[in-house]
Amino acid sequence: MQEQVREWLEQGKVDIFLGYKMIQGHPLPYCFTKENLDDISDLIVGKARYSLEKMATKIAAEHNELKIGLLTRDCNQRALNVLYIWNQLNPENIKTIGVNCCPSKLKEHGDCSYLEPEHAPPVKKMIGIDNNMDVKIAEEFGQEERFSRWMYELQKCIKCFGCRDICPVCFCKECGLEHPDLIATGSIPPEVPIFHLVRAVHMAGRCIDCGLCEDACPVDIPLRLLYRKVNGIVSDVFDYTTGTSADQSPFNMLGEEVTLKPKPI
Amino acid sequence: MTIKRMTFLQELLAFMGLEGRLHLDWISSAEAQKFVQVVTSFTNKIKSLGPSPLSGGFDMSAIMSSCEAVQGTANVVGG
Repeated sequence: MQEQVREWLEQGKVDIFLGYKMIQGHPLPYCFTKENLDDISDLIVGKARYSLEKMATKIAAEHNELKIGLLTRDCNQRALNVLYIWNQLNPENIKTIGVNCCPSKLKEHGDCSYLEPEHAPPVKKMIGIDNNMDVKIAEEFGQEERFSRWMYELQKCIKCFGCRDICPVCFCKECGLEHPDLIATGSIPPEVPIFHLVRAVHMAGRCIDCGLCEDACPVDIPLRLLYRKVNGIVSDVFDYTTGTSADQSPFNMLGEEVTLKPKPI
Repeated sequence: MTIKRMTFLQELLAFMGLEGRLHLDWISSAEAQKFVQVVTSFTNKIKSLGPSPLSGGFDMSAIMSSCEAVQGTANVVGG
């Protein structure tokens, strides 16, 4: 793999390569360049996971002709598909080297280590939402219990914006969540549940289920579960599969045959 | 498309335990009776649902106690 990166950089197939390098004992994202070919011997693959494609998006926004290479797992690849669809990256300028995800029970051929999160502590199990919970089970709680469990989770939010910042498919230049007229400022938690519902709606047809948001969340809000539900609705209502469908999400299209009927009161 | 967006939102709100408080209907300006009927029945529904659980601020202690009641246990240990 190191040889391939070296070859790409030397031959100018890519101008930069985004990978990981061990820096002071931490595997951190690192930009390998032609100028520093010696660095390539430090290129590593491990369990560490960052949105390399998000970094590529930011770089491409400023240098749109730059050819970028990057390491991709399955989730990175799905994110890249979404970014191509939304014209955030030009597929002609992106070259990827696929690496295997870490093994887990959930995926025979290995997946990212995060897919087996820690067991939820008793209080969370009792009054909150276990992050490992299946969407169907989360739907089975009675209305009041469902409400209170979600409110328990959402009121923990410290508005760190970690979920948004790490999200590979969050690319808006201006974020509605930071607009004081839309989300009141000056108190923690941010408006419950509007703050997270706004994000959930924005994730509809975008979220590629990488789980980085939940990984980044310091208070363990089951965001992945929420966005899975959101994409489940998108799939049921709009017949759109995020990450694999070739068109932009149906949320920004107008006019098509109506097949649904308004719900009765 | 409106109907799909609204269906989406209705289902999302329901997932959070806020079902039944959002309604969509098509009423022509010539359909006064339908307007009355829809507004009346939706008003009645909202009245029967009572105030939104989100109104009047957010009371965590009520949630904690209601959850404990639901779970049928008052002793929360560890965590």
